[in-house]
Amino acid sequence: MARRTIQIDLNRVEGDLDFQLELEDNKVVDARCIGSLYRGFEQILMSRKPKDSLVITPRICGICGTAQLNAAVLALEHIGRIPVPPTAIRIRNLCLMAETVQSDLRQSFMFFTADFCHSKYVDRPFYEKARAAFLPFKGSVHRGALEHSRHIVEIIALFGGQWPHSSYMLPGGVTTPASSRHIIDSLSILNKLTRWFEQAIIGTDLDAWLAIQSADEFFTWLTAKDAHADSAIGLFTLMSRDIGLHNTGFGTPHMISYGAYDDPDDAGTFPPHRKHLFRAGFLNGDTGDIEPFEQAEITEHVRYSWFQPYQGGRHPFQGQTIPDYQPHSDRYTWCKAPRYQNKVVQTGPLADALIDGEPLIRSLYQAEGGNAWLRQFARLHRTARLLHKMRETLRELAAQPNAPHMISPDEKEIPDGEGFGLVTAARGALGHWVQITDGVISRYQVVTPTAWNASPKDSEGRHGHWESSLIGLTVDDPDDPVEIGHIIRSHDPCLVCTVHLLDTGKRITVWP
Amino acid sequence: MGTLHIVCFGNELHGDDGFGIRVYAQLCRSTWTKDVEVFNAGIAGLNALRFLEDCSQAILVDALANFGNVGEVFLLRPEDLADRPEQLTGHGLGIPYLLEALKVIREPQPDILIVGVEIAAVNPFSPGLSDETEHAIPKTVQLIRGLLSE
Repeated sequence: MARRTIQIDLNRVEGDLDFQLELEDNKVVDARCIGSLYRGFEQILMSRKPKDSLVITPRICGICGTAQLNAAVLALEHIGRIPVPPTAIRIRNLCLMAETVQSDLRQSFMFFTADFCHSKYVDRPFYEKARAAFLPFKGSVHRGALEHSRHIVEIIALFGGQWPHSSYMLPGGVTTPASSRHIIDSLSILNKLTRWFEQAIIGTDLDAWLAIQSADEFFTWLTAKDAHADSAIGLFTLMSRDIGLHNTGFGTPHMISYGAYDDPDDAGTFPPHRKHLFRAGFLNGDTGDIEPFEQAEITEHVRYSWFQPYQGGRHPFQGQTIPDYQPHSDRYTWCKAPRYQNKVVQTGPLADALIDGEPLIRSLYQAEGGNAWLRQFARLHRTARLLHKMRETLRELAAQPNAPHMISPDEKEIPDGEGFGLVTAARGALGHWVQITDGVISRYQVVTPTAWNASPKDSEGRHGHWESSLIGLTVDDPDDPVEIGHIIRSHDPCLVCTVHLLDTGKRITVWP
Repeated sequence: MGTLHIVCFGNELHGDDGFGIRVYAQLCRSTWTKDVEVFNAGIAGLNALRFLEDCSQAILVDALANFGNVGEVFLLRPEDLADRPEQLTGHGLGIPYLLEALKVIREPQPDILIVGVEIAAVNPFSPGLSDETEHAIPKTVQLIRGLLSE
């Protein structure tokens, strides 16, 4: 039996993730997802003033800094029971949606679909269309995504002064009101992107597309007109299904969502009890039931991570993040292994849509399960929903031109206590857990979406979601494992993949 | 002459990959005329496109691999990178990718020059440059000054 190890580096920009895969006769028999970057923000924040988190945590990521800021401010508002006006919630939501839309469009059309142009598919009927649409820098959709995705975060710059790494959310609200100028400028940016999305991505009107409610309706729509089949989402769907991405890459059946976007109509309620526009929950993969989400059920394990060991799992309020690099042990990553109800779970747009009860995604899931194509499709479906929601949010802001954007807290400082902020970032469930003692941060624990998905094995030896989604996969050519690229990219790790083969020393680049 | 942007790339935490950022620090110690702006692009990836807008010329500074001897300073044009997209080190989306993206979003293109040094090694999480790369910093700054006075 031929056994070999493949090492896959997943970019050095935002994620710093590698995969090590063991292949036996071209079949993946073991997988290790390696977080090669020690983040260290938990230590940086220790003994600092609580509000320092609003400046420091948006630096955790160059893609989802808005989500980090939102989680940080919610945690402080939770501790201080600090009220926020509806306008501030709308501005926060608008910016968070803009950030997610950019990330989703780039992930889809600058990274995921580029793999359809791989020479392996040269004899497939779709190949010429794939190149015309998705070839990097040449294909119409790739070029369009590059041009249009970069403007949407200008909305964040309007309200936050800059993007990325902005700090405009404060306990009690945001720093800038929704002036009519900001609203008009935001609408102009949104309109331009929406027009391109309708023309190039869905080939139809946004509202009409969002009205599709079931798998049958979707597949009828797909073949009803050439414009539908030739839209980016049509091509992506037909190509994915032609090569079987709807039958692969499932991973764990359990899913969580923290719920997305605080409901401005529920502004009078303090987090974490405030309602969300998209619901929170836990999809129990064993029963198929959606159960209420309870953050107390979260634990993190470090059995296979480079941290000082402790028994079993710990809730973030008892969390400990003390680095202990042991490169020659069976520990293999800087990621902890988060678990919910002691189960391996996944998070992201597929989980969010299913838990929220979005009918089309749910119908497709019931028909075929949580496969690689559906995971990617759910991400693009979310873009459509968010473009619609952003317009609605801007309309609401415009309807109340002089509404306050800030309620100054009674107390200047955040009191001692503990709290958490849970948000939905582009890649899924993001949480900050904070404890304040004697006026300074005594514990800060961040659990990112990628920690959930890229989790290593836990104390009981169970693989994380990405790892398990690859185990059992057969690749045609271990020297050029494009199948692995499809599945890994459907999980939305950051940016490009470079594949190294350790046994031959040969290096292969999977370049988008 | 229009505006000129000097855009420095690199990651100071990864050994010689920090070369561009050290050059940036050095450039910031000098005063420049109003039509010159210096930027630290770090590992901004595609977000660095912003630094290439609103300028008629740009000088990009980064670490290089497989161009020559360690410590050697090179002056390159974008076409010199065209056939070797993976040669620049350190950043998942490197300068070749950025330049391709720039062609899509900007017309006409700014005049672009790339100034780089052949580095010894990218050592993850080992701040500090090798001696050869360190010695290349003054040469690089001098080269950039020379380009500006042309």
